[in-house]
Amino acid sequence: MAIEQKYTDLINADIDGEISDDDKAALDAFLSENAEGRALHSELSSLCTSLDAVEPAEPPRHLRHVIMSSVNPPSPEPATPGMLQGLLAAPALRYAAIFAAGVFLTLSLVSSDQIFNHAFDDVTGLVGSIADPVNAELVNSVSVDESQVAGTVSLRRSGTMLILDFDLASADPIEIEAGYTNPSIWFNGFAQLESNGTSVSAGTGRVTLGMQGKRRYAVYLHNEGGRQTTVNLQFKADGEIVHEASLDYEPAE
Amino acid sequence: MTKTDDTKLIERCINGDRKAFETLLVQYEKPVFNAAYRMLNSRDDARDVTQTVFLKVFENFDHYDPSRRFFSWIYRITLNESINWLGKSSRLEPLQHEAVDDGKGPEQEVDSANISENVQAALMTIKADYRTVIVLKHFLGCSYIEISEILEIPEKKVKSRLYSARQLLKDALTTTGMH
Repeated sequence: MAIEQKYTDLINADIDGEISDDDKAALDAFLSENAEGRALHSELSSLCTSLDAVEPAEPPRHLRHVIMSSVNPPSPEPATPGMLQGLLAAPALRYAAIFAAGVFLTLSLVSSDQIFNHAFDDVTGLVGSIADPVNAELVNSVSVDESQVAGTVSLRRSGTMLILDFDLASADPIEIEAGYTNPSIWFNGFAQLESNGTSVSAGTGRVTLGMQGKRRYAVYLHNEGGRQTTVNLQFKADGEIVHEASLDYEPAE
Repeated sequence: MTKTDDTKLIERCINGDRKAFETLLVQYEKPVFNAAYRMLNSRDDARDVTQTVFLKVFENFDHYDPSRRFFSWIYRITLNESINWLGKSSRLEPLQHEAVDDGKGPEQEVDSANISENVQAALMTIKADYRTVIVLKHFLGCSYIEISEILEIPEKKVKSRLYSARQLLKDALTTTGMH
């Protein structure tokens, strides 16, 4: 015999802790005389215990940074764009200009030992050939998911160029060191999708980057002879290493 | 967090205070992510929906009705976005969970990961309307009246939908040998 809806409602209310004293007394009286009602109460209680035993899932650690980065208020636009702004409205020109600014910044920061290694022999050829990292072949990538920094770093290849493509977010300032032991690799340039916000300095066998917020930038390495190499990445917050990763490049047979 | 606290934070958000928005994010990130995850059964989709929900909240503070509680607004957006996502990703067909005989007797204790997996699989076999009330009741801890406010349906309907949802879920779990 089916249980009256009035009692199924009371059974649910009892399990959910939403039953009044009077209704509880009525339910208890009903259950004491109705085995089917008792079975239903027991089954539903058991089901709810299982549901309540499910542990809540933890959101990805970087999610909060990503959301906060995406709700930045937009920068105020100039009331009347000048000729330069008009020219830079074209995406290709804008990217080239940003890249040139990045190279200029790099030149001003790079240490002298790199210059003696002729690291910039081919800088002028960079714009237009590798300025769009999307066209470069993806070799390898690593994900970073720490509370201090999160995102991805990809290693791409275009001819004799290796490109480290950083897409990261961090709430506080972090430092990233990309080290490469292969002596035939030279630091060869830097570009970023924002006009500021990332610092870069290079020495023999390493590039050091500083950033905060959500940043997308690329480090260009000249790989003489397209040889096998490993790029070791260290992410530091307050001088402490918070994450380490490696990206391997194996030339095609 | 009380309604007054939320209202104050929202006022600050409307005035462009990102810190206030971050406080709301810290408070609601986990329940929003969990609701989306239980609705969609995918961490990646839940992450994307969570991001969309907070962006919508940020962009629509001026449409927020202060007479309603903030959580009922954000949970409603979350459930709507999750249902939209289900439609977009062609997952409207409930997934059929196959009964697996793993040799465990019903009296054997199952660990929490196993419970979670079985419950989630069973949850995905029931219609989104029913899943919604289960998510609100058991994963977000809402009362009948709060569910009624979030879904904008009478409390009586909440009770009947919850009862039906539980019966369906019980049947689905029975096939897994868990109940």
